[in-house]
Amino acid sequence: MASNILSIGSSALNAAQIGLSTTGHNIANASTPGYNRQVVVQAAAQAQNFGYGFVGQGAEVTGVQRVYNEILAKQVVSTQSASSAYDAYSAQLNTIDNMLSDTTAGLNPAMSDFFGSLQELASKPSDIPTRQTVLADAQALINRFNSIDGRLNEIREGVNTQLSNSVGVVNTYAKQIASLNDIIEKSISTTGNTPNDLMDQRDQLITELSKQIKTTVVSQGQGSYNVFVGNGLPLVVGKDTYNLTTATSPTDPTRVEVAYQTTSKTTILGASSLAGGTIGGLIQFRNESLDQVQNQIGQIAVALAGTFNQQHMQGLDKNGNPGGALFNIPAPVTTSSSENTGSGVLTTSIVDPSAITSSDYRVQYVGGNYLVTRVSDQNVQTFSSLPQTVDGLSISQVSGTMNNNDDFLISPTKNAASTMTLAFKDVNKLAVGGSVLNSAAGAGNTGSGSMSALTASSTYTSSPLTGTLSFTYNSGLPNTLTLAPSTLPVTVTYGGISTTYPAGSPVTYTSGATVAVGSISLVLSGTPANGDTFSVSPTTSANTGPSDNRNGLLLANLQSGNNVAMIGSNTKNSYATAFSQMVSGVGSKARELNVTSQAEAKALDSVKASMEAESGVNLDEEATNLIRYQQAYQAAGKMMQIASDLFNVLLNLGSN
Amino acid sequence: MRISTNTIYQSGISKITNLQADQTRLQGQISTGKRFVTPSDDPVAAARVLEVSHNKDLNNSYADVRKTAQTNLETLESSLGNITNLLVSAQSTLVAAGNGAYSNAERSNLGKELKNSLDALVSMANAKDAYGNYMYAGFKSDAPAFVANATGASYSGDSNVQLLQVDAQRQMEVSVPGDAVFQAGGADVFATLTNVVNLLNTPITNAATQAAFTSGLATAIDGMKTSVDNVLNVRASIGAKLNELDSLNLAGQDRDLQYDKTLSNLQDLDYAAAVSDLSKNQTIMDAAQKSFVATTKLSLFNFI
Repeated sequence: MASNILSIGSSALNAAQIGLSTTGHNIANASTPGYNRQVVVQAAAQAQNFGYGFVGQGAEVTGVQRVYNEILAKQVVSTQSASSAYDAYSAQLNTIDNMLSDTTAGLNPAMSDFFGSLQELASKPSDIPTRQTVLADAQALINRFNSIDGRLNEIREGVNTQLSNSVGVVNTYAKQIASLNDIIEKSISTTGNTPNDLMDQRDQLITELSKQIKTTVVSQGQGSYNVFVGNGLPLVVGKDTYNLTTATSPTDPTRVEVAYQTTSKTTILGASSLAGGTIGGLIQFRNESLDQVQNQIGQIAVALAGTFNQQHMQGLDKNGNPGGALFNIPAPVTTSSSENTGSGVLTTSIVDPSAITSSDYRVQYVGGNYLVTRVSDQNVQTFSSLPQTVDGLSISQVSGTMNNNDDFLISPTKNAASTMTLAFKDVNKLAVGGSVLNSAAGAGNTGSGSMSALTASSTYTSSPLTGTLSFTYNSGLPNTLTLAPSTLPVTVTYGGISTTYPAGSPVTYTSGATVAVGSISLVLSGTPANGDTFSVSPTTSANTGPSDNRNGLLLANLQSGNNVAMIGSNTKNSYATAFSQMVSGVGSKARELNVTSQAEAKALDSVKASMEAESGVNLDEEATNLIRYQQAYQAAGKMMQIASDLFNVLLNLGSN
Repeated sequence: MRISTNTIYQSGISKITNLQADQTRLQGQISTGKRFVTPSDDPVAAARVLEVSHNKDLNNSYADVRKTAQTNLETLESSLGNITNLLVSAQSTLVAAGNGAYSNAERSNLGKELKNSLDALVSMANAKDAYGNYMYAGFKSDAPAFVANATGASYSGDSNVQLLQVDAQRQMEVSVPGDAVFQAGGADVFATLTNVVNLLNTPITNAATQAAFTSGLATAIDGMKTSVDNVLNVRASIGAKLNELDSLNLAGQDRDLQYDKTLSNLQDLDYAAAVSDLSKNQTIMDAAQKSFVATTKLSLFNFI
């Protein structure tokens, strides 16, 4: 009997010891990330039947389990990836937001200074110091554009680096999870028990992985995990891993994309397959905000520089020569996809800077047609041939032949702000004076026809008008214009349709149509009478001089003109309004993201707290357990002492 | 409810961190005096601030242009004032020359006097502005507007007028071409004076020369009157423009004040509210820190 008591005591001692170790383990790991508290599963040992009844045989420990709620854990993982995505997006956008918050470093002060000094120049057209100031302020404005866009490029580089880092981290986690899968599976199959701490480690890795990318876990077989990332791409299957990798975009060499690597090939993943986590957040930031902001600042640069140049070319400089461009703006960036099979080469140029939008354009050759898609609103135009002009952008095919599904990306404004430069430093070349062209209606005109919008094109400087050009209206032919001298072809554009008439042939008159001859264009409208004439002549020294400020006024007033296009709208904005709209766009988005990311962080905190409430270590509880197991240990010891005492009673029986 | 020890620390820390973030934001607002620090704090107001500041800058640049316009017009006005004085004095000399009691020698002296006036007038008509430009030469301001010749003076400027953008919707003429001052309305003041000088230098010897003198003088007096009226008209229009500039200045200053007020409404911080928020935040922070320390001090381990 005493031996039975002793073995019961020893089982109790053993159970208490295991309890103490487990409590100690819990205390030791109270702050270990991902640790789930462990509990001893204790049961009464199989009782022994002595005929008069079952006598208990003490306690036995059937297992040590971790307290783990799989549903809560899944919630943590999914909330974590959403929260990390918003955090990454919001952190990046906040850097732009902060950059734009500096009112002294924004675009507006530099723009006000530039146009302010132009106003001054208009009042002192021949004053050299004022001309110097205009050039200096133009350079300062360019510097602002360069610096804002340069900062955006840095942010873009940062996104590339972070994507590469995150992909590296994902791959490392994948390997660690796969190797833990292996160990866990082996230890379950050999011992039949779950290795709690290893499983905690693996679950913690899953949580860490979900910070980088949306992660889904499917348990399989003997405690193994299959891990899917993003939009269901297998990353870990049992002991095997698949890699994410980075690749440069086929249409944009400066852009790092995330790709999925299988043994045979590398597939670039679109934004939709990469939702969640830092990776998802960064990609979303780049697609939705960074590209847009950079295009918008580029659009303002193109519109300002382009419209200024156009106006500048209408004037005469201090030496009496036609003005040239003040700003150099880069041509649109056109990239053909590296997957194109045809040899077609596209070239693009900006023909109307005030019609250029902030969108990128995609040109696809499909079934013999050119599909031009404005990326921002997915507006598609189909053309059977090139060249075509879309939103002030001329697209033409210079060489090669297209194959079906050949794909091109055009970014009209992306690099404009960072690469614009000043075209000249000679103060005399500022074209403040007059207009290079003079228009006159014939003195004997009797009809109501009039000439307007007389413009010298960008090629005027290289091929200026040498004499007078005159149009004579002829109602008898009928309704035609004849050009004298008749050495040049005439192009008439009305409602977007252009017709070119060869040199010398009569030109059909359409009221309001734009008539282009060589490097000049004008609009004739109204109802001219038979024989009415309209002439254009180059400005000679006879009608200009040092105090001529006519073009200076027009240049200075560009500031209040509306020259920046808006997508999907016929109205245009001034440069300053376009900039302030860009700032408020970034501000609104940043605000929205700050709110969402805070809400998402709260949700994460709350599911984490629920999980912690169930699985986390509470030191007071462990202190109680310590006392409990300590007392159990003491009681078991006492029992064994009693068993020993009882045995001694038996031994002492004989000695008495 | 069961709470893990980690949660106690975590929530304590995160609450204190939030309070610190609020403090930093309030401190930022107080130190800049602005209601918002980044556009995301109030995107609509941030955009409005940019627009209003831009309009304010624009308004100020028109004010600068108005100063130039005013200087130009005042220079013109003062020059035309001198010209008027000269013409009026020449006019009275002309009237006096009609005095039948004057001898040929006396008339010849008057002729010399008027010749001096003519020279002075040509020089005045070739006056330069502060930038060394000939004021009355139109756009061709790098050469003298008038060149004296045997019959008076010929105009070598052009008839262009310089316009300045003195307000958003107003372009003002701030120069007058010389031909419009001295040779308008059918009266060329240089020719008039030259004729009269010649006339006074021609001795009256008989009835025919007397008649020629009388009719020539009458023509000259008429011409001179037209010329004086002409100059006075130009001066009047300059005066009207200067008045207009004054009222545009007033309107501009008014707008500037309005812009300042709008900017202040949009971005200025309510200091009382911000300072009170900050002190409230400090009190809460203090309590949060103390209670955090107090709660975390409680542990069963202290008793075993």
